[in-house]
Amino acid sequence: MADKGKKKRYALVLDSKKCMNCKACVVACKAENGVPVGKFRNWIDEEKRGSYPRLLMTFDPGQCMQCENPSCVRVCPTGASWQRPDGIVLINYSECIGCRYCMIACPYDARYFREDLGVVDKCTFCVQRVDRGQLPACVETCPSKVRVFGDLDDPNGELQDLLSTRRYLVKKPETGNGPQLYYLL
Amino acid sequence: MERTLMDRRTFVQVTASGAAAAALASQLGCLKHFEKGKGGTEARELVVPTTCEVCPNKCSVLAVVDDGVIHKLNPNPESPRSRGMLCARGNAAVKQVYDPDRLKQPLIRAGARGEGKWRPVSWEEAWDYTAKKLSEIKSKYGPQGTVWSSTEGFQEVFFKNCGLAFGSPNIVRHPTLCLASVNLAYSATFGTVPAFDLVNADYVIMSGANRFEAIIIPDTMDLIGSVMLKKAKLVYLDPRFTVTASKADTWFPIRPGTDMAFILGMLNVIVGQGIYDKDFVAGYTTGFDKLQEHVQKYTPDWAEKETGIPAKEIIRVAHEFAAAAPRACYYSGRRSSWYQNDFQMRRAQAILNAVVGNWDREGGMVPNASIPMGEYLFMPWDDPTASRVDEIDKTFPLAAKGDGAYLKLRENVLSGQPYPVKGWMVYKQDPMNALPEQAKTLKMIDQMDFVAVIDFQMSDTAWYADVILPESHYLERTDPMEMMPGIWPAIVYRQQVVKPVYNTKPNLEIIQGLAKRLQISDYFDYTIDDWVKAQAKDIPVQNAFDYLQKHGVVVTPGFPKYGKTLKGDYRFITKSGKVELSSDRLQESGYDPLPVYKPPTEPQAGQFRMILGRRAYYTHANNTNNPWLHEFDPQNHLWVNPEPAQRMGIRTGDLLEVSSRAGTVRIKAHVTDEIRPDCVFMLHGFGKHSRWQKLAYDNGACDAQVLETSWDQVSGNAAFHETFVTIRKV
Repeated sequence: MADKGKKKRYALVLDSKKCMNCKACVVACKAENGVPVGKFRNWIDEEKRGSYPRLLMTFDPGQCMQCENPSCVRVCPTGASWQRPDGIVLINYSECIGCRYCMIACPYDARYFREDLGVVDKCTFCVQRVDRGQLPACVETCPSKVRVFGDLDDPNGELQDLLSTRRYLVKKPETGNGPQLYYLL
Repeated sequence: MERTLMDRRTFVQVTASGAAAAALASQLGCLKHFEKGKGGTEARELVVPTTCEVCPNKCSVLAVVDDGVIHKLNPNPESPRSRGMLCARGNAAVKQVYDPDRLKQPLIRAGARGEGKWRPVSWEEAWDYTAKKLSEIKSKYGPQGTVWSSTEGFQEVFFKNCGLAFGSPNIVRHPTLCLASVNLAYSATFGTVPAFDLVNADYVIMSGANRFEAIIIPDTMDLIGSVMLKKAKLVYLDPRFTVTASKADTWFPIRPGTDMAFILGMLNVIVGQGIYDKDFVAGYTTGFDKLQEHVQKYTPDWAEKETGIPAKEIIRVAHEFAAAAPRACYYSGRRSSWYQNDFQMRRAQAILNAVVGNWDREGGMVPNASIPMGEYLFMPWDDPTASRVDEIDKTFPLAAKGDGAYLKLRENVLSGQPYPVKGWMVYKQDPMNALPEQAKTLKMIDQMDFVAVIDFQMSDTAWYADVILPESHYLERTDPMEMMPGIWPAIVYRQQVVKPVYNTKPNLEIIQGLAKRLQISDYFDYTIDDWVKAQAKDIPVQNAFDYLQKHGVVVTPGFPKYGKTLKGDYRFITKSGKVELSSDRLQESGYDPLPVYKPPTEPQAGQFRMILGRRAYYTHANNTNNPWLHEFDPQNHLWVNPEPAQRMGIRTGDLLEVSSRAGTVRIKAHVTDEIRPDCVFMLHGFGKHSRWQKLAYDNGACDAQVLETSWDQVSGNAAFHETFVTIRKV
């Protein structure tokens, strides 16, 4: 995350099999970003199948996909939703009028409305941390290290390493949004 | 599930009421960073390394302080124990500091006990009153007329020492509600309690130690890594389908109370077929011939009948375990004991580990290493002259005497035998929730002339106390350093991150104020600085004190280290100097020298066995009131398998009455396949009495009201799985 100048593309690779549903990522996000109780910038969905004693339980961490081609940005009437050159999609709260078109446009259900501020909010990859060379709070705090954060454009980075050696999927590729959360299989 | 489009990520409608204004302001401040074209690169903060206290793990933390307010707790990557993580509870500790419902000043009860009427008082008045009450009890019943109970923590030592210096032998700590049976069983076998090298193990068996929901560092992180990368195999036995069960290669929903039969069945195969580590057994153990004879009758077919696990599976696991050894562990677990034979069940595990030769080997069990640390030498007092009220010497001759036997202590206090106890001092513990059979704990409080509680929040026990002495939160105080023994030993330091937000004090200062009035202040004539500087003296790093202030944790090179004890002349700290497969010491004390299986009591028709367990985001009964954690499980439910549920017409959400001989509670049903049909389960820490825990007060049900009093015969550890309940729709 050093040498400025060079083009970056931030992304997240997740190994959901390692997720224990311990919620450390959710609370770390809440603390770091002041997310109100009852609202979530990130979450863990559970899938349960089978009947006793043949059972399956898997966990699926989710948050804003920081899309390549974000529909939330396209529909924003004021330009409050915008994208940085490194791919991080942000909301300029002073320009957000709370119309919530972006929430409807997001295929991933990743945005929520903050009644207290009258604005829409979502995961920012903890840009305030990333810009100082730190990891997003959810990535850093995870006990089982489900998430790997980094620069997709770094040919020697951990992300390229994982994505070229492991099978993975992205969610709802058919939307054309180009989601930048890669789920290892 | 139908969710509205407008606000689809709002799962729970709870208003943000918790945060103090200052904390909220700091959190909102971070929104500033996202203005277009601006990066949030200004250095805004101070980072203070410290040590978490939300559970007993002691993870290393970097506290980020923004303008005098704690903004965020980050994991400290320097700790080899917490391995660069901080769990949900650790992250939520910020919320405790700024919790408007926490204890803010000393209180003296103004109404009846439990009525919730309090008079805020000065520290001087609280100390004077406490000292007066304790002195009255002392003059009437002697110092032994008081019991001093506490749970583990870096400042527990001052509380315990105050009790002893006051002259009471009745110090009762957490182990007999916790891991006393495990500790005693491994000590009886190896002379020490080892750690398990899960990061290097190839094969791990766990009985009910739900490591992926009950986080223990570094075990949880090490195991999830190995298991999910398919480096290690995990075999897991639990009547409940936990997260650990879901990640295991094999999950056996074992018939509760029969784990020992599974282990003995494995021993029968491994010993009988000669696939044990013959060199280790010959060189380092004693009693193998007796073991060989003892396990003959415990065939896999016999074990199948007891456990419900097919004999061929027991044989398969035994073969795989022996083949993977020494990189194979039957993990000891670290949780409260379950049955009255818990010690012997843990002994069977220890013996199984011993015969496959995983002792002191990479991927096996490793005796704990340590790092030298200094000690503050305080003035010693005369040992209390009275004998303990729990009669531990007589009842549990092999148990750790200094920690006491909690449930036996409560029985004896209630009976007034061998002598009356009329004062109860409590530090950082909530016996109302931690002990089974809450009605008895309430009776114990009732028959006390005086109860005082030191805590940072209004626990249920505090709610019934006469005096509350509010302790500063861990982020507001400096504590003694702690050496954490293990495969990766570390010394950790907890230092003050912010000044106390309210009129609270660190435990040492609370004790000093009390000691002065009890005329025992000479024994507490030091500051926390004197104490930690003395500890820092022998730590083998340059300027250890400064180093710990800067780093929060000391690690020394050379770990992990294997095989230190694998030398022909090494003497184990046991009677024979060897690993004791068969134990003469046990026999001499009147116990079985080898684990003898006794089938568990069977539930009668219509009864269910109540079992306990954890969630990763709650520690005991401690943080169900934290809004950042409470929202994951806003209420507890009774887990019931669909088979009996259907039979009884129970559906999820139905209100049930759950009754045992200990008591009755009402709780909503959660019909789930994730539990055996003969068991029920509820999460701990709900149904609180304390109105100052708004989210947990009268919400769901309290398991302690239903659990019956029962203990392990050898260690005196509370046996939490011996309760049968009936359930009824209301």
